[in-house]
Amino acid sequence: MDFNDSPSEAEFRGQVRTWLDTHAKDFMSSSDHTDVISFIAKAKTWQAKKAREGYAAIRWPKAEGGLDGTPMQEVIFQDEEARYDVPVGPFVTIGTQLAVPTLRTHGTPEQIEQFTQPTLQGELLWCQLFSEPSAGSDLANVRTRAVKDGGDWVINGQKVWTSWAHVADWGILLARTDPEATKHKGLTFFVVDMRSVGIEVRPIQQISGVSEFNEVFLTDLRIPDRYRIGAVGDGWKCAMTTLMNERVNVGGESQALPNVLELIERAQDQSSGASLDRFKMAQLLTQEMGLRYFRFRLLTSLSKGETPGPIAAMSKLVYANTLQELSAMALDVTGLQKLQAEGDKFQHGYEWAAALRIAGGTDEILRNQIAERVLGMPGEIRVDKNIPFSQCR
Amino acid sequence: MNFDFSDEQQMLREQARRFLSETSTFHALRERIAQGALIDHELWRQVAELGWLAVAIPEEQGGLGLGALELCVLAEEFGRSLAPVPFHGTVFLGAELLKRCQVPEAAIWLSRIASGEAIIAAQPTLRWDSVSLHLDSGVVTGNCEPLAYAAQAHAAILPVLQAGQPALVLVDLEQQPLPSRGARSLDDVVPYAVLELDQTPVVVLAEGEAAQRAMRQVVDQDAILTAFEQIGGADAACQLARDYALERHTFGRPIGSYQAVKHKLADMAVKIELARSNAYFGAWAMYAGENADRSLAAAASRLSATTAFEYAARECIHLHGGIGYTWEADCHFFYKRSRLLAVILGQPGAWVDQLLADTSLNQLQIR
Repeated sequence: MDFNDSPSEAEFRGQVRTWLDTHAKDFMSSSDHTDVISFIAKAKTWQAKKAREGYAAIRWPKAEGGLDGTPMQEVIFQDEEARYDVPVGPFVTIGTQLAVPTLRTHGTPEQIEQFTQPTLQGELLWCQLFSEPSAGSDLANVRTRAVKDGGDWVINGQKVWTSWAHVADWGILLARTDPEATKHKGLTFFVVDMRSVGIEVRPIQQISGVSEFNEVFLTDLRIPDRYRIGAVGDGWKCAMTTLMNERVNVGGESQALPNVLELIERAQDQSSGASLDRFKMAQLLTQEMGLRYFRFRLLTSLSKGETPGPIAAMSKLVYANTLQELSAMALDVTGLQKLQAEGDKFQHGYEWAAALRIAGGTDEILRNQIAERVLGMPGEIRVDKNIPFSQCR
Repeated sequence: MNFDFSDEQQMLREQARRFLSETSTFHALRERIAQGALIDHELWRQVAELGWLAVAIPEEQGGLGLGALELCVLAEEFGRSLAPVPFHGTVFLGAELLKRCQVPEAAIWLSRIASGEAIIAAQPTLRWDSVSLHLDSGVVTGNCEPLAYAAQAHAAILPVLQAGQPALVLVDLEQQPLPSRGARSLDDVVPYAVLELDQTPVVVLAEGEAAQRAMRQVVDQDAILTAFEQIGGADAACQLARDYALERHTFGRPIGSYQAVKHKLADMAVKIELARSNAYFGAWAMYAGENADRSLAAAASRLSATTAFEYAARECIHLHGGIGYTWEADCHFFYKRSRLLAVILGQPGAWVDQLLADTSLNQLQIR
């Protein structure tokens, strides 16, 4: 039992480190998001640079610009890359991790040809037009309509929580083509040029005051039929491919968010002698440590060539709740004393934790998943299962 | 990354799980309690034959010379099966303390443990200032704390004070039978008793700093091994609750289809996985870590495994409804065992202090 890389993992990590050491420094200090345009330009160049080495899509075949690599190698690269403040994020990964894998499974040769290499090379940024005001946890409840009109589809509806919609070149879109079919059957998958007429992107102001997400209004947007992916009515199947391809998700720690050690440091700094619930603090620390070593167990199964089981869903569940608790506790420690104009890390953690408990599977959805997939509990009763969507509430 | 037990250790786990599930049933446990026969001597003999008492004992003393990781694997399976044998006290405390003592008697007792001849009752302590046994001119006077299997053991290993200084002593209970006072245990399966020493001759195993160091190491290690026991128990309680939630119907549905129930089961699974992950850190620290790692890992393992087992055991009874409160249902075994294991190594507050005080906390940021 050890934490060491296998010889081949160590060799790969060594290569990655050498390469990053040489190239990453020109792309650092990207966290200054104020100038979005130059930030995006930098991100695209960084992506192109990685693509030349095969690092942009490690698991893809070599012939198509990948490394024929393993999920473990992908994690090694992510971990090493995360040590540098380089511009990576959903605006890059939606393309290579979500859009293109879906196209490659369900698209035509022409569609694959058109999008694969430009996405890999960082020329195309993507956004994901899935969630809607009434389709969150229940994603199949999508109401955005797509109606065939000659060689085009005419789209009307509203999408929400779309990261980077304002800078994306293309989007992947889930829309309802047949409201008389049952909920999951009437959906179709499209790709859409985000510069088309009929798309209006409005930033959403979050509780933090920042706008990282958008609402996207689609009004008489026309999509040529050649940008339909898969068969009409197969949208759910395609969307599942998208979601299954989300990057090898084994967590990892974020520098931007506070952790329990920082809470402990803050508690020790306080000369006020603020009394703290040490049991609670210990509980949070054991949760944080447990997550760290859980991640090592996941990596071990990846390293052995296994797929981590459904219990992996617990990482975000525990992390988001731990973050919320520890941030609140740190704010308890300092009370009003440390309020600053720019806020602090724990304030940010406290706000973001509320989002994190919802995004990418709410606490409740994750508990359902764990109960059903790990323990074999019965699935939820679905009263809208066998009736036409038009008759669902 | 290879943060897992080896294939050989996994095989030991499977062997132990199979063997203990066949030999140690809840039905047999109930009968044993009714008869007041709290050690299954036949099972103990087989456990010795399988070599499990000897896994971590050096080869010179007839052991197998394997190590900490094998003990972790066995601890989990004993925790799962609740087997009525004095494995914990004899192996995790007795043998591990003896291994750290240099006197010739230690080696003799180690070989007796390895061969299955000796059952040991041992008293772990975190606080020497609360020790109430006193050693003077080779004899000890005072009452020990309630000890598991004290009335059945062949020897007791006890912390004592000698002119205010820590020492570890061994009482040969065959040579020196002691009056013992039975104590009602938190757990019907594990008998507890207080030994009454009065000018009792003892073997001094270690004195002063050596005694303190041995005890400190063994207590930390025992926290980790107990964590594995707790995880085994928690996992078994979770399975029991899960099976019942699928079988029991109310209002025309299995109760496991209600989120109020299935989310509790999910929370059990999550707490168990967190505890298991910390216990793996503990296993690694026992096997390869520095002292600082071991102390931190022991505290983290102990606290999160206690949380997991308590939650699983309580909700296991609760999810069974009224039937869970009956002697005939199996839930109470876990309910009581979880409480027992929560209190065997001192106050939780001491472990909280150990976790938060640890200077190696800072190193965590890198690892």
